[in-house]
Amino acid sequence: MRLLFLLPVALVALAGQARAEGLAFVINSRSASISVIDVATHREKLRIPVLREPHHMALTPDHRYLLVGDTTGNEVLFINPRTAKVERRLTIADPYQLVFSPDGRWLTIAGLARNQVDVYDAATMRLVKRFPLSAMPSHINYAPDSSVVYVSLQETGRLAAIDLRTLQVLWDSKVGDTPAGVLWLNGHILVGLMGSDCVAVVDPVDGHVVQCVHTGRGPHVLFLSHDRRTLYVTNRVGGTIVALDPATLQEIRRYQVSGGPDDMDFAPDGKLWISRRFDHSIGILDPVTGKMQVIEVGRSPHGIWLNTHDTLPVSVSQR
Amino acid sequence: MSFAALLNDPFDSVAGWITGHGVVPALYALHLMDWEDIAGGWVLFAVYGVAQVAITYAVCVPLERWRPVERWPDAKAVSVDVIYTLISRVGLLPLVTFVIFYQLQVAMNGWLTDHGWVPPTLEGLVPGLLGHPIVTFFLYAAILDCADYWRHRLSHRFGWWWALHSLHHAQRQMTFWSDDRNHLVDDVISFVWFTVVALLIGIPPMQFPLLVLMLRFLESLSHANARLSFGWLGERLLISPRFHRAHHGILAAGQRSCNYGAILPWWDMMFGTADFSREYVATGDPSAEEALASGSYVQQQWAGLRRMARMIGRSQDPGRRAAAR
Repeated sequence: MRLLFLLPVALVALAGQARAEGLAFVINSRSASISVIDVATHREKLRIPVLREPHHMALTPDHRYLLVGDTTGNEVLFINPRTAKVERRLTIADPYQLVFSPDGRWLTIAGLARNQVDVYDAATMRLVKRFPLSAMPSHINYAPDSSVVYVSLQETGRLAAIDLRTLQVLWDSKVGDTPAGVLWLNGHILVGLMGSDCVAVVDPVDGHVVQCVHTGRGPHVLFLSHDRRTLYVTNRVGGTIVALDPATLQEIRRYQVSGGPDDMDFAPDGKLWISRRFDHSIGILDPVTGKMQVIEVGRSPHGIWLNTHDTLPVSVSQR
Repeated sequence: MSFAALLNDPFDSVAGWITGHGVVPALYALHLMDWEDIAGGWVLFAVYGVAQVAITYAVCVPLERWRPVERWPDAKAVSVDVIYTLISRVGLLPLVTFVIFYQLQVAMNGWLTDHGWVPPTLEGLVPGLLGHPIVTFFLYAAILDCADYWRHRLSHRFGWWWALHSLHHAQRQMTFWSDDRNHLVDDVISFVWFTVVALLIGIPPMQFPLLVLMLRFLESLSHANARLSFGWLGERLLISPRFHRAHHGILAAGQRSCNYGAILPWWDMMFGTADFSREYVATGDPSAEEALASGSYVQQQWAGLRRMARMIGRSQDPGRRAAAR
């Protein structure tokens, strides 16, 4: 089983090794900055100053801007993803997590400290509706047809579903202890329950938990590889990353990644770039060998995104 | 050391290790993982608090032994000041103040943003400051220091406030530990005072912990029992132990004091309260009851409250009280 898993990873690594170039953006939440790293040399090229406390980012559907939310700075930065130049700033209250819908029509912004979820018209950046949701809305994902947006509510252990056609809350259901990352997969919603060792598999119709997948202590965020063959889960408390088979949700392999693994992106050479919240560094993990390189960045690195030119993702809405 | 390296200091690594190996597993076991992020911020505060105490201790103890102003046969009264320092810098107080300030800042700035206002920040006022964190930090520090000058001066002006603040002045064995020797109610007033100012200028709570450490070190140093002057020019740039000791002198207790500044002497010079002439005077407040000077932590707190109640009853300020004596 492990060999079957390693084969496509190894092929991607061999094919893409020469093309692992571009820019990596790493948000340093407690240094109020964004590290811009040369993917080829692993050197930090520049550090973009941000007003207060940025956390997450999202690429606009037209790939023109990388949006970075500065929570206590109450603004969204519009950064050119190719030059790393800040081109525009927009005042928005508490933009913690921000994700575009797969069809590019909506931008949903979670205000974790203010218990609010804002749905914007992505083209005009006009606020369409605010949903007061208790408490601590953190991570966001959509149904593939962009009809529903799902938001985890960390403090109250719930997951909320908002119908984007009617702009009404469909359901708001208890899913478990401290839900964080949300991912639509194979007709279900997966939710990392950071206060447990479980990834909840949730029925999108009514929000009931139908299965618990034990991945390790503190599962935080879930990532589907670009080839959709591997599902990675970062276990914040346990300091591990688990590779699952997306079809069966069975564990394939486990990696030790200390320092509070959080966000992740995939390089063309097959390596995983991982932010480590407690270690002012990011890790570059080779999933074949299990070896990890470390690059120093600022305090509490959180959001991470790679603009590797030839493999620019269609959208970051799946993160 | 590059600026990036200065910001990525070793204390951050220690705080990260404690967070990852101690605090987060404990929160997980207690089903309190929604506190994870804010707890990480508090650990950073606490680590810097410990570093502040350790660095201050390492510098000030040899200094106080080398050139003491006074020698005491029994320094028991100093031990209570150690408790004050630990509570103030590494204990519950930083956690509570950090959480409350953070929540207030989020609420106020979010409300302003929702109503079409841009929350106030120095960088908003002077956009050129963004990207120049050291300059920005020193501007923030200077504004807060000026605010502290006026808080401190007013705490000597009003009788009820002086009753609380006299706990700080009652210490006859003043050492570097005395900086945090304050009544809890006085601490709360200070917190409210700084919160209002910090919200108005949009201060970032945890952006510059290393620089905050340096400033807190200077505050502790100014209380040291050491014959230390920074020279004519140096004393006009930074507050020295000699300059601040004049403020703690027995003749300066109460309304007619001088040298109210904490870091910069500029505000005393600007507002006519600077006195560079006094040498190393004896400290204390002769009008304070003995419990304020040499009581236990609880006795001092209780004595401060009693004194405040009496002052409110008499509706007198320290000046009138002094005149009546």
